[in-house]
Amino acid sequence: MGDLFQWSRLFQNFRIIIPFITVTFRIVVYATVFGLIIALALALVRIKKIPVLYQISNLYISFMRGTPMLLQLLLVYYGLPIILEPVVHIDVTRVWDSIIFAYVTFSFNQGAFLSSIIYSAVKAVSIGQFEAGYSVGLTWWQTFRRIIVPQAVRIALPPFGSDLVGLFQNASLVFSIGVIDVMGRAKTIGTSSGHVFEAYLDVAVIFILCSLIIRGISSCCNKKLDYSAGKEVRE
Amino acid sequence: MNIRLDAIGESLVYAIKYLPETLKLIFIPLTIGLFIGTVTALIRVYRTPVLSQFLALFITIYQGIPIVVALFLYNILYLMKFNDILEALHITKTIADIDSIWIGIFALTMSAVCTISEVMRGALLSIDKGQNEAGFSAGLTKVQIVRRIILPQVVPVAIPPLVNSIVGLIKGSSIVYVIGIAEVLSGALIPSARRYTFFEGYLAAALVYWGLTIIIEKLGTLIEEHLGKFRRSL
Repeated sequence: MGDLFQWSRLFQNFRIIIPFITVTFRIVVYATVFGLIIALALALVRIKKIPVLYQISNLYISFMRGTPMLLQLLLVYYGLPIILEPVVHIDVTRVWDSIIFAYVTFSFNQGAFLSSIIYSAVKAVSIGQFEAGYSVGLTWWQTFRRIIVPQAVRIALPPFGSDLVGLFQNASLVFSIGVIDVMGRAKTIGTSSGHVFEAYLDVAVIFILCSLIIRGISSCCNKKLDYSAGKEVRE
Repeated sequence: MNIRLDAIGESLVYAIKYLPETLKLIFIPLTIGLFIGTVTALIRVYRTPVLSQFLALFITIYQGIPIVVALFLYNILYLMKFNDILEALHITKTIADIDSIWIGIFALTMSAVCTISEVMRGALLSIDKGQNEAGFSAGLTKVQIVRRIILPQVVPVAIPPLVNSIVGLIKGSSIVYVIGIAEVLSGALIPSARRYTFFEGYLAAALVYWGLTIIIEKLGTLIEEHLGKFRRSL
């Protein structure tokens, strides 16, 4: 068993690999921030049913939901330089760090997924709420901002939490375009020492811990925001 | 912008050639996942002592591991230990006789069991408790209640989230490409490697996956409508 697994190597590698989790965190943060911006724009287009843009946004969301994350990464990595070349006249692959391609891909991907969450959350708020808003003399925008959004946020929070866990796990694919994250670092340990099993086991442990933490935070937030009208908060 | 349409076409032909492999990677895990996932969900909902706590813990932990990480781990175990295991069992085959697609199928099956188990658990919990009591009062056994009363009611509830799980499997199946298993993605890249048209190859593969997903989602909607006929909604 010694050739496959040793505790000492497991702990040694853990210390080497753990700092690279920040790379994954950075991807998650960028993707969530830019993804939210894209998602809000898309959701608004879908709620308001703006012609042409509405069809385009549906196609975009369908593509992002219907194709594997790995492929989206590779498509951006190989496609973005082709698209940008006539504009900037340089091969961006040479100047950009590969993590930028990861930021771009995950932001666009999150844009689609988060917009679905936002859209269905807004749709879940009863139309009577709008009518109530109008009846007290609020405009469409005021009603939306003050009455609909606070209720929609509460509905959107649980799916947002599971989406975050998914995003986090998907970020483990960025090694395939040459980004050195926890996974990429584990691979390099393997090629230099010939013992790769413990390194990947460390990666698994890191991801398990992070998933549990994200799930924990998410369920805490859900409990905090569960201010059901006049009812006792119960599990 | 110099994207070559003929390269996309050629990659598409190759990708579709490998479609059977991808379908294997989707439907074998799905079948096993449906069976084991439903059983584990029943164990957890009916609170079989010890086993239900163990499964809950295992599923929670296992769902934290990205498929790609699990895949690498299984791949190493397979490469390093498989021959020893075969020897111990006195089987005169070696690693070369086994198709490596089974590592992918195994990894995807494990993840499918976990996700489908969660789906079925949610669906089972949505069934009214009174149904069990009604079954008992009519003199049915536990097994009879589950088979004749609970499961038929669970199916329509479980269809939409199950479609999501299948879509997840379709998308997950492409990950096995990173350990060199032949399927749609690696098939699409065969002409790309020769002509250096990688972007076109990836685009062709993306179109195949997209098509598959759309077909599955349409089927799901059809089944849902069909089953909806028999459900009285309040």
